Amino acid sequence: MTTPVLELNNIHKAYGDLEVLKGVSLKANKGDVIALIGSSGSGKSTLIRCANLLEQPQQGDILFQGEAIQFKGQGHDRQPSDAAQVRHLRTHLSMVFQQFNLWSHLSVLENVIEAPITVQGRPRDEAIAEAQALLDKVGIGDKGDRYPAELSGGQQQRAAIARGLAMQPTAMLFDEPTSALDPELEAEVVRVIQALAKEGTTMIIVTHDMKLARDVANHLIFLHQGVIEEQGPPADVLDHPKSERLQKFLSATKA
Amino acid sequence: MRGFLFCMFESCADPSSLTGLAWFACYLTNGKHLLFYQSFGTVLGLLALAAPLALLFGFAGALAKRSQIPGLRQIGQVYVAMVRGIPDVVFFLFVPLLIDQGIEVVRHYSLCESTGPIYQGNDFVVCDAAKMPLSSAEPWVHSLYGFALALAAYAIVFGAFAANTLDGALSAVPTAQLETARAYGMNARQSFVRIQLPQMWIYALPGLANLWQILIKATPLLFLLGIEDIVYWARELGGTKGSRFAYPHPDWRIYYFAALLVFYMIMTWGSEKVFNRLQVRMSVGQATLSGKGAAL
Ligand SMILES: Nc1ncnc2c1ncn2[C@@H]1O[C@H](COP(=O)(O)OP(=O)(O)O)[C@@H](O)[C@H]1O
Ligand SMILES: [Mg+2]
Repeated sequence: MTTPVLELNNIHKAYGDLEVLKGVSLKANKGDVIALIGSSGSGKSTLIRCANLLEQPQQGDILFQGEAIQFKGQGHDRQPSDAAQVRHLRTHLSMVFQQFNLWSHLSVLENVIEAPITVQGRPRDEAIAEAQALLDKVGIGDKGDRYPAELSGGQQQRAAIARGLAMQPTAMLFDEPTSALDPELEAEVVRVIQALAKEGTTMIIVTHDMKLARDVANHLIFLHQGVIEEQGPPADVLDHPKSERLQKFLSATKA
Repeated sequence: MRGFLFCMFESCADPSSLTGLAWFACYLTNGKHLLFYQSFGTVLGLLALAAPLALLFGFAGALAKRSQIPGLRQIGQVYVAMVRGIPDVVFFLFVPLLIDQGIEVVRHYSLCESTGPIYQGNDFVVCDAAKMPLSSAEPWVHSLYGFALALAAYAIVFGAFAANTLDGALSAVPTAQLETARAYGMNARQSFVRIQLPQMWIYALPGLANLWQILIKATPLLFLLGIEDIVYWARELGGTKGSRFAYPHPDWRIYYFAALLVFYMIMTWGSEKVFNRLQVRMSVGQATLSGKGAAL
């Protein structure tokens, strides 16, 4: 049995008195595509942000390729204790945000080569060549010298995916990558994600798009009020929801 | 220096014999007028040095104010608050005096053979060796020292304003942009240098442009510090000159001050153009995010 790429064990996270995650665990093996669904405010973003330590869980373990992240302190003061370990985790997990978050002062190409050069210390020529190939791959090879503000939402999100891929990550994290997009722009981003899934990219995707979840994921997790209410193969879970809450959630999303 | 040569012309040797244009040509190129023209250089020099220095002080102040280190943070806050709460003119009189006397006190204790008390009755007395500059120094050393003290005052006062502007601009950079830098493995320094600093300028520019205009308009305060600037010379040269002067004339101060008016108008108008152009250039790319600019 191989080591999972990413393992979250019994994650607890509260903002002040508000308990957002109440002991959530998940495991992503190499090549897994995990879809996270749940109503707004159920803690999906918080969970995926804990995975690369943009948020610090107050309890629970994060294991990257079998290695547990070291923490110091307790409760709200709990912090990762090893900066190098955090950097290692973050450079191997690329995050794609709902609002794209391309760096607005950099051109699209510069966005893609920024972290590989600054963080990973890769040679500039090599980074540019790879960035161009990635931009071609996501279908915006001609937009490298444009600024993010000059692109449509769908193009920006594809640029953001290229930026994530440029890190040559072990896994990609997506937080509602299509939620800020009009339906026709959504489709172009979905196609890119589907292509990545076919190539065997390990991904955790927070999404409200049940069709995407069904298409690309091999495991689906329904989060409700900070706990995993139901999980399993997408077709099973979506077609035969056991819990009343998931049934309600699904009928609400279909409507 | 061509003016000097001009004055050497035979024709200027006896001003009383001149009329019309020739009189004016000689009048406007006499020694005093050359000092007047030079004083424009003093003002421009002050601007050229005070602006970058103030920016430097501003960065230091802003970084101190934003620092995690408690002592440093308070220093930054006090610096900004103090200068903001005190009238500029008071500060301009206070800072050069403070620096001057501070230097002299230090020199007094390190250079003087017998160190008597510095305050003798109501007088501030340091020994001759401690004087800044030494009384034996050339006149230009005295001018330069006075100019340097004034420059320090400008840098400190405008540095505090700049610190406030820069602090605000740094805070205006959207947190999502910095969070993304962290998510991609950047450390605090990398995210500051690569993301926050370059994105800050567009938010700082309107404030800095405004400060620059205020700085231009504050240059006549040099006069207050006893520096022979353009205001000094305009008053000096414009005043009524009786018959014992080489170039007698009635009260012409209004013309001299009109000249200053034109000078300041050109300076402020010109820099506004430059800043506007800069603003447009910088807002390319950051257009939609900052809500201004003309990309697309
Ligand atoms: N930084 C924060 N401070 C305080 N509360 C937060 C913060 N981030 C999220 N929350 C709260 O945590 C809950 C879960 O949020 P989130 O993980 O964003 O949900 P989801 O992504 O499933 O919509 C919400 O109630 C939200 O208001
Ligand atoms: Mg969310």
